[in-house]
Amino acid sequence: MPDRSDPWSLTRRAALGALGVGAAGFALFGPSAPKSAGGAGGGGAGRIVLDYWEKWTRHEGDAMERVVAAFNASQDRIHVRYLVVSDIGQKSMVAIAGGRPPDIIGLYAFNVPPYAEANAVIGLDELAPKFGVRMENYAPGVRQVMRHVGKWWAVVNTAGSVALYYNKVLYREVGLDPERPPRTIEELEEHSRRLVKRTSSGALERVGFVHREPGWWSWLWAYHFGGRIYDETRGLALIDSPENVRAMAWIARSNEELGVKALAKLGDGFGSYFTPENPFLTGKVGMIVQGPWIANLVDAFKPDLDYGVAPFPVASGMERAGGEGGAGPVGLIDTDVLVIPRGARHPEAAMEFIAFTQRQDMTELLARAHCKPSPLMEVSEAFQKTHPNRGIAVHRAILASERAFIAPPTPVWQRLKDEFDGMVLRIASGSVSAAAGCADLQKRAQGMIDDAARTRRARYGTLSQHGGTGVPPVSFTRGASHRRDACATDAENSGGSL
Amino acid sequence: MRRQKGPTSRPLTRLMIHATLALVSVLFLAPLVWMLATSMMPESQAASQSIRLLPDPPSAVFTHAKENYKSVWNDRTIRFPLYLRNTLIVAALGVAGMTLSSAVVAYGLSRVQWRGRGAVFFLVLATMMIPFPVLMVPLYLIFRELGWIGTLTPLWAPAWFGGAFNIFLLRQFFMTIPRELDEAARIDGCSHWTIFWRIILPLSKPALAVVALFHFIYVWNDFVGPLIYLTDQDQYTLALGLQLYQSQAGNTPWNLLMAASALMVSPLVLLFVLTQRTFVRGVSTEGLK
Amino acid sequence: MTSRGRAWRDELTGLAWAGPWLIGSAVFVLLPMGMSAYYALTDYPLLEPPMFVGLKNFRDLAGDPTFWRVVKNTALYAGVSIPVFTLVALVLAGLLNSRVRFGRVYQAAVFIPTLVPLIASAMVWFWLFNGEYGLVNKVLGPVLRPFGLSPPAWIADEAWVLPSMVLMTLWGVGQSVVIYVAAMQDVPRQLYEAAELDGMGPVRRFVHVTLPMISPAILFNVIALTISAVQVFAVPYVMFRRPQGTNPAGHYYTMYLYETGFVYGRMGYACAMAWIQLLVVLALTGVMMFASRRVVHYTRT
Repeated sequence: MPDRSDPWSLTRRAALGALGVGAAGFALFGPSAPKSAGGAGGGGAGRIVLDYWEKWTRHEGDAMERVVAAFNASQDRIHVRYLVVSDIGQKSMVAIAGGRPPDIIGLYAFNVPPYAEANAVIGLDELAPKFGVRMENYAPGVRQVMRHVGKWWAVVNTAGSVALYYNKVLYREVGLDPERPPRTIEELEEHSRRLVKRTSSGALERVGFVHREPGWWSWLWAYHFGGRIYDETRGLALIDSPENVRAMAWIARSNEELGVKALAKLGDGFGSYFTPENPFLTGKVGMIVQGPWIANLVDAFKPDLDYGVAPFPVASGMERAGGEGGAGPVGLIDTDVLVIPRGARHPEAAMEFIAFTQRQDMTELLARAHCKPSPLMEVSEAFQKTHPNRGIAVHRAILASERAFIAPPTPVWQRLKDEFDGMVLRIASGSVSAAAGCADLQKRAQGMIDDAARTRRARYGTLSQHGGTGVPPVSFTRGASHRRDACATDAENSGGSL
Repeated sequence: MRRQKGPTSRPLTRLMIHATLALVSVLFLAPLVWMLATSMMPESQAASQSIRLLPDPPSAVFTHAKENYKSVWNDRTIRFPLYLRNTLIVAALGVAGMTLSSAVVAYGLSRVQWRGRGAVFFLVLATMMIPFPVLMVPLYLIFRELGWIGTLTPLWAPAWFGGAFNIFLLRQFFMTIPRELDEAARIDGCSHWTIFWRIILPLSKPALAVVALFHFIYVWNDFVGPLIYLTDQDQYTLALGLQLYQSQAGNTPWNLLMAASALMVSPLVLLFVLTQRTFVRGVSTEGLK
Repeated sequence: MTSRGRAWRDELTGLAWAGPWLIGSAVFVLLPMGMSAYYALTDYPLLEPPMFVGLKNFRDLAGDPTFWRVVKNTALYAGVSIPVFTLVALVLAGLLNSRVRFGRVYQAAVFIPTLVPLIASAMVWFWLFNGEYGLVNKVLGPVLRPFGLSPPAWIADEAWVLPSMVLMTLWGVGQSVVIYVAAMQDVPRQLYEAAELDGMGPVRRFVHVTLPMISPAILFNVIALTISAVQVFAVPYVMFRRPQGTNPAGHYYTMYLYETGFVYGRMGYACAMAWIQLLVVLALTGVMMFASRRVVHYTRT
């Protein structure tokens, strides 16, 4: 071959060889996971080593790692390893199914119902009190997420509630009273309109409130219109309820008013959430629906930003009930929970660790670092007084409110939420009307819910017939499916064929 | 008389062809250039309305580049060095297995005379048509039974059983090696294994290089496999790590995302530059029927 | 006697050499396919054993609008991208085959993007297509402004999802170009000379000589493209999933299949989807092979 003598070819070969050797060296001696290095030795000989999967990174992760370190130092029998896992709800399910679960998982509250019904987590009714963790220690709103259909599955490690954050500097700029946040949706719309700024060519430069930012809770508006999207006790989807349709129409209207294309483009220019380019920090968005953790963002990137916090507005007429001595503000409780997965090797040790994290001092350490309210009833004076989030009282009020709500506790929630997101996108872009979109999804949502229940019944028969794993399946109130069976007889027949 | 240069040789036509190809080349390379440019800028300048290839001031390009790449490399949660190592481990084990077993099977399908040969070869071709999603769920369950979920094993072990496309490619190549060579060896009393090891393999280095190269790229690229089979974040591969870097709560600035992408792309481009001939030869064989 | 024994030995030797693949494909292909076929008839949550439900999954699929949406999106993507892709590949290959100087440089430029891992490519285009700061709009903006138009937000806009996907796919055209160039170089020179004597210009020569002669390569390529287009996953998975939800126009078949199996934990339903996909791929391949019998010229036997 002619190119064998070509000097280029030699250099090439040498370079390839070097590359190969370098790669092999890296593969053999490259960095290794702290895990394999830590192994049994990391915790000291003879200690039980627990794996704890958590979604938190950065300062939130740091705070939790401090708690873990405190636990590891507090005794010499158990050593907990903190491991960060993204997409944790899904990865954990796959790991549990794969027979390699960790010992403790930090999930989101909305994961609890599907995990509970799949028996993917261990019930805590007996285990938790053994280690001094009691349901009544927690704020009322928080208790909702710990239980599912009558059983206790999860412990809350931090509690967030969702409120309206607004930029006071922009309020002043457009002549609004910065101390007077909107209380009703109508006021929100009005303030929002005043905050809009366009370039000479008509492109959007700034908006007031847009439901798409950050877009994490596409479904919560119905609750602020006085409705809900799911009736837990009857297993009924309420997506076509008048309140939700009204909320969806509101989204469609405000998107249309701003211009769907203009908004899409402005939205593409929004920086990622945890960066200085976050649109709330840069002032591209004047008002945002957010949890308390955003205070950390402000501190990190724009500490001089003057912002206010208020309960997210409600449809007019509803605001009065939220006043002094009333039922409390309307707001979503979005919490992080700790669970012990099925197949965990050391459930008792895991519970001991969880109990440690629930001590008032640890809870407050964590909550403060996350800028969140404490999930516990009892709160120290120091915590309240020196809390880094100026809106802490608002968030706390939501946790205690009778009108607080949580994500629909149905095992099909993940699927339903994805469908809901899709519906909202289509309604917002104007490709489907609010009423039609809701009607369509209502039918499917009810189908999903009924189908899940029906399959469950086919699987386990009635409660009394169930033997099996020793963990009885969750019981259901099944009023809804009977009424709706007419439209899904096929599925019923085949579902019951076992 | 017209020169034997090719289908066209009029100057104007040639000029137009050049112009078109040059424009196309620019269009094809622009995304990569833009990726590199963004990776060497501060975030505030990456997210701006102006088109610029170098940061302002341009002299700061190295400072920003160093800063961005360092912060990607040293990210505490998304640990690229670790993912690089995992990827290289999977690649090394996979490439070795894939090359060896595909060659063995290709030998069986080209050099050994037996009646089932045609049928097996047909099966090999047929499996190339099966979409991966059909296997996705049951493979997960099989690997679960084998206790491989949450380990790197599912990503390289199957390679040790050969791959349909590579078997096909090597078989085609083996067919071009003159039969007389191994017949002579047979007469000398050599076994199949000796013929394979001493005659066929040494003569097939170019084809083996193609298989190795392709499988390496496959591993580097593979996203679905790791996505399904890996649970422990410390075992992620680069492809998964990059996606994670983008997705984790959408928290990554553009400049860092591009730096991370550049880290993943550059080894392959380097490899291509060093092995362009092998590459082109390999890809061209793909078109064989 | 001996010859029969010999035949058996040959058979065993052959089987032994093909052994790795036979075992591998049995364990990693055939067995999973069989399992998948069975699970398609079951309700199978990730954490519980499968339960036979007959054709329920298929009936549910027929009434699942999301299923039909992903089918439509995927079909549109395949239907538009494959012809465009093939056309561009052929034209570029034709140009490169005209043996211009720097041919290798041009070829390298077109080929290099195919090396970019899909995930990285998705990231890069995610950035290029950004409505506000993306390079594409930075270039298009000033061009469109005089006409009173402004460029779209691409991946954030339902209507522009398909064009973005096609453009991204085109970026990876290099592999096919190289294949076609190789095939074109095998076309006997005499054919061109004869055509030239008949008075054919370059374009007609391309259409009447080159294309028929490389038609086997085109067929092979189009089949391979179809198989991969039907499975498109990684790129849209990265680009169209946002905190606000997946862009409804950017939701493709395999994405939904993956979500169904591994996010919603409905393995049975996912397997039913997978089998439909398999049958569609087989049918498409069959149809293309059959329909092309008249058109494709095989010179060698």
